Amino acid sequence: MKSLLVACLAALPLLAAPQQFHLNLDSVAAKASEHVDVSLNASTLQFAAKFLDASDPDEAKVKKLIAGIEGIYVRHFEFKSAGAWSQADLEPIRAQLRGPEWSKIVGVTSSEDGENAEVWLRTAGNKSVGVAIIATEPKEMTVVNIAGTIDLEALSELGGHFGVPKVKPPDKPQKEE
Amino acid sequence: MDWLEDELRRALARQDPPDGFAERVLARSARGASGARRWLAAAAMVVVAAGAGGAWRQHQGNEAKQEVMLALRLASAPVHRIQSEVRGMTQ
Repeated sequence: MKSLLVACLAALPLLAAPQQFHLNLDSVAAKASEHVDVSLNASTLQFAAKFLDASDPDEAKVKKLIAGIEGIYVRHFEFKSAGAWSQADLEPIRAQLRGPEWSKIVGVTSSEDGENAEVWLRTAGNKSVGVAIIATEPKEMTVVNIAGTIDLEALSELGGHFGVPKVKPPDKPQKEE
Repeated sequence: MDWLEDELRRALARQDPPDGFAERVLARSARGASGARRWLAAAAMVVVAAGAGGAWRQHQGNEAKQEVMLALRLASAPVHRIQSEVRGMTQ
């Protein structure tokens, strides 16, 4: 009985951990010239929300957006040269996303400039409980896990803020996955 | 009335304090002053600690906010790109 209790207590942090897949990209980090590693759990997000200015339109949007989020985990890598990373580096991530709880909702591949972006949705019952984003460019790679409920439309709107220029729609349709 | 005068004279006669009296008074006075200084220093420390705690919390909050902004910036860029491309294709 005592060992069962110890095992249950040991499992508690795992149950509490909202990260929905392992961002095991150490091999990629070793090849990157720069990398950003952001891991924010629910309590950090709630704490940060207190410092977001509701009177600032951008910060108000962020505050609203993070209200339903339990965690944000981001790994972003930049490489000095194209070809420094390969699709095989992403295989540990993709292998986890092949699980039944994940489904790819959209993906865009540009053969012209070698850019690829895809969004995966995690569902539990009929409810979406998380998002995975994989975005790659010849010299960049970003993998994101957002745990909780998120409005993708609102997230997309933020793409034109915080110094990220809005992307104009392409003149010609490009290949969609 | 001689006896009364004698009594008064004796009672009001100048008497030297016992040996070490002045030193003891000065020492006690100094102890009192240093105690007050200690309380003052402690109070100042509490005020400084409270101020530093507030500043530290503000600093931590701003750092957390910047991390949230960075995470959402990195997450939103590909979603925005996808949405723009999909809209471009459907238009």
